[in-house]
Amino acid sequence: MMNVLKKILVHRKYPGLIVRHGYATTKKKIPDGSEENLPIFQYPLSKSSDRRVYVWGFAETGALGIHLPRGKRAKKGYKNNFTLAWHPMRSTFGERFDVTDIACGYGFTVASIKTNEHHKVFGTGINTDSQIGYHAPRIGHPLELLLSPAPMYIPYKSLESKIIGVSAGRAHTAILTDNEGVYTLGNNAYGQCGRKINKNEEYKGSMVTHNISRLGKEVITNVCCGQDHTLFITESGRVYASGWGADGQTGLGNYENQGVPAPVKGDITSEKIVKVASTVDCVLALNDKGELFGWGNSEYGQVPMSVKQQQVNMSYALVNFTKGIGKIKDIAAGGSFCLIVNEQGDVFVWGYGLLGLGPNVQHSTKPKVIPAPLFGRNEFNPESAVEKVACGIGHLAAITNNGDLYMWGRNRYGCLGLGHSKDQYFPLRVSVGALVLKVVCGVDHTIVLSKPYL
Amino acid sequence: MSAIKNIRNAAIAYKTLNGLLCVYKPACVSLQQLQNTVITNLCRDLNALPDRPLEKRVEIQGPTNDAMTVKLVTNYADDPLVCGPRYIKEDFRCSWATHLGLFSSGVLLLGINDGTKLTYLINTARLTRAYKVHGQLGKATDTYFWNGKTVEKSSFGHVTREKIDKVIAHMQAAHQKTMFEMSGLHMESQTMFDLASQGLIRPASNKLPVIYGIKCVHFNSPNFTLEIQATNEYDKYLWTLIHDLGVQLKTSAYCTGVQCIRQGKFDLKLALLRKHWQLQYIIQNMDKCRSIMEENSLLLKPKSASLAL
Repeated sequence: MMNVLKKILVHRKYPGLIVRHGYATTKKKIPDGSEENLPIFQYPLSKSSDRRVYVWGFAETGALGIHLPRGKRAKKGYKNNFTLAWHPMRSTFGERFDVTDIACGYGFTVASIKTNEHHKVFGTGINTDSQIGYHAPRIGHPLELLLSPAPMYIPYKSLESKIIGVSAGRAHTAILTDNEGVYTLGNNAYGQCGRKINKNEEYKGSMVTHNISRLGKEVITNVCCGQDHTLFITESGRVYASGWGADGQTGLGNYENQGVPAPVKGDITSEKIVKVASTVDCVLALNDKGELFGWGNSEYGQVPMSVKQQQVNMSYALVNFTKGIGKIKDIAAGGSFCLIVNEQGDVFVWGYGLLGLGPNVQHSTKPKVIPAPLFGRNEFNPESAVEKVACGIGHLAAITNNGDLYMWGRNRYGCLGLGHSKDQYFPLRVSVGALVLKVVCGVDHTIVLSKPYL
Repeated sequence: MSAIKNIRNAAIAYKTLNGLLCVYKPACVSLQQLQNTVITNLCRDLNALPDRPLEKRVEIQGPTNDAMTVKLVTNYADDPLVCGPRYIKEDFRCSWATHLGLFSSGVLLLGINDGTKLTYLINTARLTRAYKVHGQLGKATDTYFWNGKTVEKSSFGHVTREKIDKVIAHMQAAHQKTMFEMSGLHMESQTMFDLASQGLIRPASNKLPVIYGIKCVHFNSPNFTLEIQATNEYDKYLWTLIHDLGVQLKTSAYCTGVQCIRQGKFDLKLALLRKHWQLQYIIQNMDKCRSIMEENSLLLKPKSASLAL
C-alpha cells in the first residue's frame, strides 16, 4: 500500500518524468571516458598497382593453382583437397607476385608477373605437351600435371624485356614481350607454335621454345590463341595466322595446316585490326573504326555468308551483318556463338547454345541484344554499361563499367562461380569482391584479374 | 481548412476518419506512442466539436388503470458529464503499414478504422521505401548506431567521394542475385528471364531485405549520407549496411540517423508533422492519400512481379 502511494506521490511531484520516460531511448548514451583512450587504428591500404587474382571451376587439373597436396594416409585428408571451387577464390599466387596478365588454356593457366628477374611467366595445370614448360623433379621424368604455379623457363635475350601479353590454346602457349616478339611453347602438331611441323616430334617433356621476333618486319603487338591455331597482330594492324586450318580458322584461303605464320587473306588486308578473338575455331576481328570481321567455323552461323558455307577460309567484313549496332567496342568468340558489345554498352549475341536470351532461345542467326537490365541497368543505376566481354567454349562473361562481372552459359564443373553446377540462362553477377579488370575463360575454369576497391 | 468547414458535428467527422494517413514519425518516438498520440488528439478534437443533441428519456407516468402520460425528460445517462467523453481511444482501430524503428524518422503510413485493411494491402504489396541514412566514418560502435558503445576508432583520411561511390555501386549490384532468388521463380524458367529482362523484381516474401539502389548524396568527411531504395528492410539492417561500407572503405563507420523519405508514392511532402496531428489536417491528409491511391490503382494490388516503385 505504501509503495503504491509513493508511486502516486512521485508522479504527482514530477509529472514531466512520466512523459520524458515515454520519449526516452531504450539505451542511453553515457560517456564513460573510455572512448578518448581508444587508439586510432590504421587499416592497411592497397596501392593502385595492386592486383588480385580470383579463380574458380575445376581444380583437379591444377589449373586453379590452389590445389594443395593430400596429407599422409594416416592423417586426415587435407582440407583444401577439393575437386572444384564453386565460388571465386582468391589465389595466393596473386598475393605473392604482381600479376600483369593471365591466360587460360584447356586445363591450364598461365600468368605473367612484373619483375626484372628471369622468371616472368608462371604456369599451372595440365602439362602433357610441355605447354607450361619443362618441369622435372627427377631427370628424365617430366611432370604432366602441375598443381601449383611454377616458373616457366623462356630464353629471354634481355632481363629488361617485359611481358605484355599471354595467351593459351588447347595445348600451346604464346608469350608476347615488348621488344623480343612472341615466344611459343607446347604442341606444334598443326603448326600452332608458328614453326615448321615435324610429324615425329615428341611434345611430352619437350624443352623447345620458339621465338617469332618479327612478322613481315613489323613488331607484334597482340597475340591470340585459338584451339589449335594462333593469331598475331602487328604494329600496322595486320593479322598473321598459323596452326590448324581444317575449318578455315587460319584465314589463309585454304584448309591446310600452317607452320610459319602467314598474313590472313580477305577483307582485313587493308584494315587496321586492333583485336582478334578466338576460343575454338571461329575467329572475330575488330578494326580501329569499330567494325567487325570474321572467318573460321560457321556451322552455327557465327560468320554468316551469302552462300551457305560452314567453313569460311578467308576473312569477311561483317559490317552489313552488324548494321544498326553502332561502333563495336569489344568482341569474343565462343565454341558455337559470338558475343560483342557496342559503344552504348549493349551486348549482342548470335550463334547456337546458351546465349543468355532465356531457356527458349537456343539459336539466333542475327545479333540479338541481351536486355540491359540483366547487366544491372535500371532506374536506380541508368549509367551501367558493359565494357568488356569474354567467352569460354560454353560459357560467357561480361564486365561492366563499375567493374562487376556477369556470367552465364554452360556451367561445366561450376565454372560460372555461382555456387552450383546448374546452367545459367541469363547473365548473373558473380560475387567477386574487387573491381574486375579482366576475365579469361578456360574450358572448365575461369580466372579473373581484379583490383581492390581501395 | 476547407474540409473542416463542412464538418458540422463530431459524428460526421468520425465517419470520415476511415482511411490511410501519412505522418512524419519523429526519431526516438515509438510507433505505439505515435499511434497513441494521434488517436488521443483525434478524440480531443472530436470531443471539442459540436456534439449531437442529448438523447431524451421517455417517461410514462400515471396510474396503470387510468390514462397514462408520456413525457420526454432529460437523459442524464447520455450526458458527457456522466458517461464520459463521446469519443475515446477504444473507438479507433489503428495500424501501421510497415514498421519503422524507434530511432528512425520519416514517412509512416497509418491506417485508421477501415484504413487498417489498406495498410495490410500496402504491406503485402511490398512498396519500396527510400531512406536517407546518415553515417560517420572513423568510429565503430557495438550497435552500429550512435547509441552504442565505441568499440573501435580508425583513420579515415583516405576516403573520398569517388571511393564511396565505387564501393556502394558494388553493394548495389551484389543484391541482383538476392532479388532473383526472392522472386520465388525457378532460375531456369522462361518466366524468370522475361521478368528479369524487364528490370527490377519485387520479392515474393518478406524474409530478406532487398536493396535496389544506393547512392551517396552527401559527403563531407567524416559525415556522409546515403540514399537507399529497398524493400523488406529494417532499421538495424540499414545500420549494418553503414558498418559494412566502413569495413569495405578500410575504416570503420557507424550510423547517425535513418530517415524514411518515401514509401511507394507517399513522400515527405505529404507527411504530417507532429504539430499538425490534428483532426482538420488529418482529414485533409486522408483525402490526399485517397486520391494518390485512386490514381495508382496498381499500388496496392500489383498485377505483375516487376517493380513499379
